This record gives sequence, structure tokens and C-alpha cells, in this order.
Amino acid sequence: MKSKPIVMEHFSTVHTSFIVNFEFTNNITILTGVSAAGKTASFSFIKENTAINPNIVCLNYLDYQKDIKDVLVHTEGKLIVIDNADILLDDEVRKYISMDGNNQYLIIGRNPKNLFATKENLFELVSKKKGEITEFQIRPYL
Amino acid sequence: MITIYKSKNDIPRDLEYIELNDIFFNQNTVVKLDERAREIIERIDESKWLSKYKIESKFNGTALDIDCLSTGCKTVLNILYFPDKVFCIKECGDNALEILYYLNGGSVYSDYAMIPFDMKAVQVREGKSIRIIADYEELKGWWANEK
Repeated sequence: MKSKPIVMEHFSTVHTSFIVNFEFTNNITILTGVSAAGKTASFSFIKENTAINPNIVCLNYLDYQKDIKDVLVHTEGKLIVIDNADILLDDEVRKYISMDGNNQYLIIGRNPKNLFATKENLFELVSKKKGEITEFQIRPYL
Repeated sequence: MITIYKSKNDIPRDLEYIELNDIFFNQNTVVKLDERAREIIERIDESKWLSKYKIESKFNGTALDIDCLSTGCKTVLNILYFPDKVFCIKECGDNALEILYYLNGGSVYSDYAMIPFDMKAVQVREGKSIRIIADYEELKGWWANEK
């Protein structure tokens, strides 16, 4: 599904020697790929940034007991970042996300089911070393 | 070989199902790690296992708590050390699945296909039916309910 990001087209943050530098081209970005690419590390850096950035909401397995749909329904104008999406999102929540015109999503997982995703929604994480600095970016998933 | 379930209803009642691999690893598996874990950590996460509770980050070489292993790596280790439980494999990347399919035992669950290109024979269980499948396309078909 092709739709322009409604909250932000660019996000960046720094955590010690790590830089997260993401360009969003779609309202739903599914971040997938091999294990140990740094996806959850990036999530933790984004979550840290929520302390000073009110435009981001982060959810992961620690929210397993929450009613995720209820959280999303009561959220507006945010970039919602969801790690562990393959166990956190059921079919109903996925359909809600696909139709949500109030928020933008960064979904970290491997199953695009019920998100009405196309290849334009699928991205993978790449890391680039510059001296002691590691920068995480996203690029289209081939 | 590993045993695969595609329906939670098919998991025997005496086998506990674990969905949250991160928490299970942090609370149970970490204390059981032995030399068998070293190669798995190196192959999946490209990290060195420094000591029982420490790994070396592949990104900047710093020592990290072992809870920083990827969920895929933790899942494989959970299956290896607890063959009497059934673990969700939905969070495993291809690099973790390639190792997972070569384990000598253990049980896993996913309601959709999670298959590495390089696969070894697995046992699949559906209802009372038990089959051994060694072919990628056949296993994909089983997951998709093809006859």
C-alpha cells in the first residue's frame, strides 16, 4: 500500500556511538530482515528518544498484556513504533493499522499479513561504520 | 529432528507452549548455557560469547549483557536447551531458521510458513497425523494446507 507518511518523513537520534537515521517514504514501514541486524537495538534508541520527543509511541513485548488496539485507537498524530510485532499484533489490530489515517507506523517484524502491504512497505536495516560510530539506516527490502 | 506444529490445538497438553522467547531465555535458558551455545551465538549474532552472562557486540566490540542477543538467537537456544517445550518461531530471521532446522530435537510452532532455503528433514504434526518432510516446497504446501 502506497501512502505518504503523515507524521514524519525523517527520524534521527543518537545513543552514544550509535546513530539512528531513518527516512520514511510510506505511512506504514515494515522493518524486516535477518536476526541480529540491530532492529531491536534501534527500537531501544528510538524508545529512549520518546522521553524528549512527544510525537513517538513505542510498543514491544513488554506491552503483551495490554489491549494494543485500544492503545492505537486512543493515539493520534504519532509515529507508533512496534517491536516484536509478529507476536503482538493479531489480525484485528493489523487491519486497524492498515486503515488508520491518524497515525504513522514503523512495524518491526516479518509477517505483513493483513497490513495490505506491498514491496513499497518492506524495508531492512543496514548499519554503516564510520570510525567508532555505527549508523543505522533503512533501505527497501529486496 | 525438530517437530513443527501449525495449530496450537495440536500441541499436546503436557508440552508447555512459550510465545515470549526473550523473557523465557532471560529467566530460564541463560543459566543452562554451555559450550554448545558458543557456535550458535557466533553464527546467528556474529557475537563472541565472553562469559556466562556477557557477549561482545558485533557493532562496537563492547561487552554487553547476554540479554542483548537477538530474539532469533534466543529462540534457537531455548529450543536447544528445552526440548520438552514448544517455542514460537515467528520472530526468527532466515539466519536463525537455518540453524534451528538442523537441531537434533525440540518443538516449534508457527501458524504460517517459516522455512529457511537450506532445510533438513522435519517432523510435522497436525491432529493425529505425523509426517516427515524433507522438501522445501512440500513443507510450504503443508503449512498452506495443500493436499
